[in-house]
Amino acid sequence: MTALPQLLISTVLLGGIYALIAVGLTLIFGIMRVVNFAHGEFLMLGMYLAFWSFTWWGVDPYFILVVAVPLFFAIGLGVYALVMRGVIHASHNVQIFTTVGLSTALQNVALVLWTGDFRFVRPWESSVVVRILGAAFNLSQVIAFAVALLFTLALFAFMKWTHAGRVMRATAQDGEAATLMGINTDRVYRLAFAIGIACVGVAGVLVSPLYSVYPTAGLQFVLLAYVVVVLGGLGDMVGALLGALIVAGVEVIGSYVFGSAWKEVIYFVLFIAVLVFRPAGLFGQRGAEALGV
Amino acid sequence: MRRRSIVLSALVSLLGFSLLSLAFVSWSEGQATQGEYKIGVLEPLTGPLAFEGKRHIDGYEVMRDLINAQGGVMGKKLVFVVGDATDPTAAASEANRLITREGVKIITGTYSSTLCGAASEAASRQNVIYWESSCVDPRFNKRGLKNVFRTEIDATGFGWYNIEFIAKHLAPRFNLAPNQIKVAFLAEDSSYGQGVTESARQRAKADFGMQEVALEYYAFASTNDFSPIIAKFKQLNPDVVHHIARGNDAVLFWRQSREQNFMFKALIHAGATGYGSIDFGKALGADGNGPFVLAEPSAGLRLEAFRPEARKLETDFSEAIKKRTGDEPLASHRLAGSGLWLLKVVLDQSKTDDLDKFRAAVLAIDMPVGSMLNGWGVKFGENGQNANERVQHYMLQWQNGKMNTVWPEEFTTLRAKWIPLGPWDQRK
Repeated sequence: MTALPQLLISTVLLGGIYALIAVGLTLIFGIMRVVNFAHGEFLMLGMYLAFWSFTWWGVDPYFILVVAVPLFFAIGLGVYALVMRGVIHASHNVQIFTTVGLSTALQNVALVLWTGDFRFVRPWESSVVVRILGAAFNLSQVIAFAVALLFTLALFAFMKWTHAGRVMRATAQDGEAATLMGINTDRVYRLAFAIGIACVGVAGVLVSPLYSVYPTAGLQFVLLAYVVVVLGGLGDMVGALLGALIVAGVEVIGSYVFGSAWKEVIYFVLFIAVLVFRPAGLFGQRGAEALGV
Repeated sequence: MRRRSIVLSALVSLLGFSLLSLAFVSWSEGQATQGEYKIGVLEPLTGPLAFEGKRHIDGYEVMRDLINAQGGVMGKKLVFVVGDATDPTAAASEANRLITREGVKIITGTYSSTLCGAASEAASRQNVIYWESSCVDPRFNKRGLKNVFRTEIDATGFGWYNIEFIAKHLAPRFNLAPNQIKVAFLAEDSSYGQGVTESARQRAKADFGMQEVALEYYAFASTNDFSPIIAKFKQLNPDVVHHIARGNDAVLFWRQSREQNFMFKALIHAGATGYGSIDFGKALGADGNGPFVLAEPSAGLRLEAFRPEARKLETDFSEAIKKRTGDEPLASHRLAGSGLWLLKVVLDQSKTDDLDKFRAAVLAIDMPVGSMLNGWGVKFGENGQNANERVQHYMLQWQNGKMNTVWPEEFTTLRAKWIPLGPWDQRK
């Protein structure tokens, strides 16, 4: 099968991008118990940051990462203080309406400010084609994958081995008990939201040389990110990476074998099956969904 | 006493002058209001389709100003009330708002095949005329709605033209008979993509016996990687890729085909989106050289092939668009402009928006190809569709960041290049 190397490498590279988008979402959901429907719009803002930096100053998107991380972290803090803090203890319905409203507002702010036109970022590396074992791909894809992997592993290490990470996991497991132990849960939620938004902002910068930049660009990825999060287990970083590889595999290999029209059927059937038979996710501990692990 | 009478006279004169001025102002305003004719314009101005919706609005507004400079419609100044048709639900509710709150009797729009069905259904329920200028969904005029009209070709016309071009123009240059040509069909899965593709497939097989080697539909909004499709197509080795794209998917497919060195002899698209959008050229520049796009005319158009009245309209419209946007008219501008101009022609003849009289005027118009903006002709069928063979379409080709008109050759000064397409790095 001469196409196999191409299919496998495409799966891995696409999976890396999906993982970075999903990892912020799973962090926010795992700790705050909020499904952030505006996640895709922060991705879009990251893409616009890369576009304008490249257009105005000719700065390569990968250098912009240095700015994107603190900038989106600060945006996350701001949005938490202004919007999310007020609904963190509200019902899921209120949280859903709030984040959907935020999503629509951000889309339309982008539309008003930058119009609905497609924009493109074309740094030199996006024209470089890498060929290995008969497979061909874009250098931008490789860089996006490498940085995505780095961020996911760094986040995993942060959650596993730092004090702040342990505090966040404790809050995720039981918010009330964490409060009784003297943990300032409001600070934990704020930190989790800011890190989640920083991750997706970075993802936006990374995908900007690969896809068009426009106000609803985030919608193209965010639905897949929800599937990834459910497959990987809510709040599970490594699960998100593996879930992303599964979704990318279904998309690439499923399209090749069964045709593109079937790919969404396949991964949404998988999505439903996981929710029904293994609600903690393919890689989560059984029963963890009730505890929030 | 005399001074008093002078003051009194002055006051009376002042009062009289003021009253006269007031009366004149009210008369002028009343005349302007009575002299306006309002129609509803529905386009997606927010959401994922807004990028094209706004271009259509530009086309409508430029043509409205040209129409008003020539006496308006039915002797009245044409004015718009605009609705935002973000999605099918909004299209229907905005149509209702324009009808019930703004009191319009005619709605035009919506460009997208995703929206035109819902908007026209809503207009139909209130017996309001729906005048579609761009959507190509083949089902649009098959619902038996007497109030619904479409000036643009439908998707079956797109498919017809594309196969005509492959069989008559490309096949001889490939040194192949039409029935030797292998076609891979690829399309986004909306009614637009499916409508064009299915009609093209049918004609390719029935009229020319072309060999269909693949058929792939995909969801354009969630397809982030074409490498599996390209890998499959590479093994099937098609001569022609018939790709109906919607937006970013055109850029992605072309870029990945280049990276994977997928060689084919030609790629054909139809419509103002995907390869037909100016965004394709912006994204790829000279790397995008080669694809053919069936659309409204662009650079290279020979105005001498048009009738005299159409030449002036074409020149005025192009100049006005250039003044507004700084560039040549795009297909979106042209579709909106030609649709609105034809509406003026009908209203000037019917002299009313009464549905029966309006419909009779629509059906009575008979203009040969070359009579209108874009070189279109006009002959509506009972189903409210302008005849596909009168809606003259053109094959454009991306050449160094520009879409040039290359076919039919009697309508253009420019010629198609790279037939068949050579290696990716030699298409300069």
